[in-house]
Amino acid sequence: MSHYRSVFRDETKLDINYVPHRLPHRDRELRLLMEFFSFLLQFPERMAQRVLITGDVGTGKTALSQRFGADMSREAGKQGKNFRYVHVNCREYHGSLFLILQHVVSVFHPNFPQRGYSAEELLRIVMQILDEENVYVILALDEFGSMVEREGSDAVYQLTRLQEVRQNKPQRLSLICILRNLNLISKLDASTRSTLQSNIINLERYSKQQLVDILNDRVSSAFKLSAVPEDTVNLIAELASSESGNARFGIELLWRAGKYANVEDLDTVTPECARKAVSSIVPTMRKSDLALLGFHEKLFLLGIARLFKQGQKASATLSEAEQAYAIACEEYDVKPNSHTQLWKYLKSLAATDIVRTEVSTTGSRGRSTLICLPRIPAHELERELKDILEKGEG
Amino acid sequence: MRILKVLGHVGELNVSEIARRLGVNYETTSKHLKILEDESILQHKEFGRIRLYRINEHSPKAKAVLDLVRVWEQAETEVKT
Repeated sequence: MSHYRSVFRDETKLDINYVPHRLPHRDRELRLLMEFFSFLLQFPERMAQRVLITGDVGTGKTALSQRFGADMSREAGKQGKNFRYVHVNCREYHGSLFLILQHVVSVFHPNFPQRGYSAEELLRIVMQILDEENVYVILALDEFGSMVEREGSDAVYQLTRLQEVRQNKPQRLSLICILRNLNLISKLDASTRSTLQSNIINLERYSKQQLVDILNDRVSSAFKLSAVPEDTVNLIAELASSESGNARFGIELLWRAGKYANVEDLDTVTPECARKAVSSIVPTMRKSDLALLGFHEKLFLLGIARLFKQGQKASATLSEAEQAYAIACEEYDVKPNSHTQLWKYLKSLAATDIVRTEVSTTGSRGRSTLICLPRIPAHELERELKDILEKGEG
Repeated sequence: MRILKVLGHVGELNVSEIARRLGVNYETTSKHLKILEDESILQHKEFGRIRLYRINEHSPKAKAVLDLVRVWEQAETEVKT
């Protein structure tokens, strides 16, 4: 049996449910959240708060809320405050207030019966339990939109105005509502909306550089030293950036690229591993797209595919691509087209998302165009193009 | 004894669930729960119409019965192995 090698040190650090100790580029938002709920550490019984966290997929909404919950629980524990952070994904409970509340009850009483009462009764039961346990809870309603869609205004109103019907009793339940788009709130009636929209933390999409930082952070905890080269991190960040700055997508890609490196018994996760990883999760290339390219366009793309085939490069210059194209022309016994024509091919390939281009200003001779092959494994692209060219479909 | 065994394992349960697990009817279960509660071996909490029963941790009688259950179960396991 051969000895198993792995590029990973601890792949669980790339799991979707893992909440890192540090959230790069979300420090300010985390501090703001702490600030909104700081009363819980001083006078928990006097206030309840509602906060909305919004942002696109993969902008760190869930991670932010869970990191806050863990930090707050630790801090409250140190100060002897009886505090619980309860995170519920509303979508898992089909947006039903009843099922969501049942989950909250089960945190305190795991064998609580699942039938025999209404959502209103359950709401009273929740408050009774919190009173009896003398506990203060932040309930984080993740995918809050699904609850808004299913239950509408009444349920949300009940939840947000809960404290008002408990005159002279301690404030027990605060809310964090996590949703992608604030527009969803517009489905609620005006009075319900007004109970929600006072504290909003909007998470902007991550930039490519921010994604690089996030990925590097995970690389250092999940992979062995030097197992993931800078080029690979940059390529994955580029891909995640093109998916609306989706960090979760990038982290998942990083994990999958590591798996491809292990399967091929590599010591490092090469950019080609990342390309294989992305082609396995995103439908990136249709053969018909390639067949529609002109003959010289195919030869040019074949040259580019060969440049990346070795797996070490994340980008190539136009002049390198031109040389590789010239060799392909020689192979197929045709005269190469001009530089200007290749430039047009490149623009057309970029427009169909087969390649991506960017301008580099770091070279010694001013600006130059860099070509990336972000989504398609180079060996797969070469094979497809050769098949088409040999069948004479060009 | 069977009620105590069930509650010893799961912590707390409502009347219907105890009855279901023991395979006896609601009334019989309620009657036995009341006897155990009168002896301070069990206690309950009410949530609306729901009563959750649990073993009274402070009761010396409950502790003695639970010790007996534990020893009994250990002996049964040893016989089986």
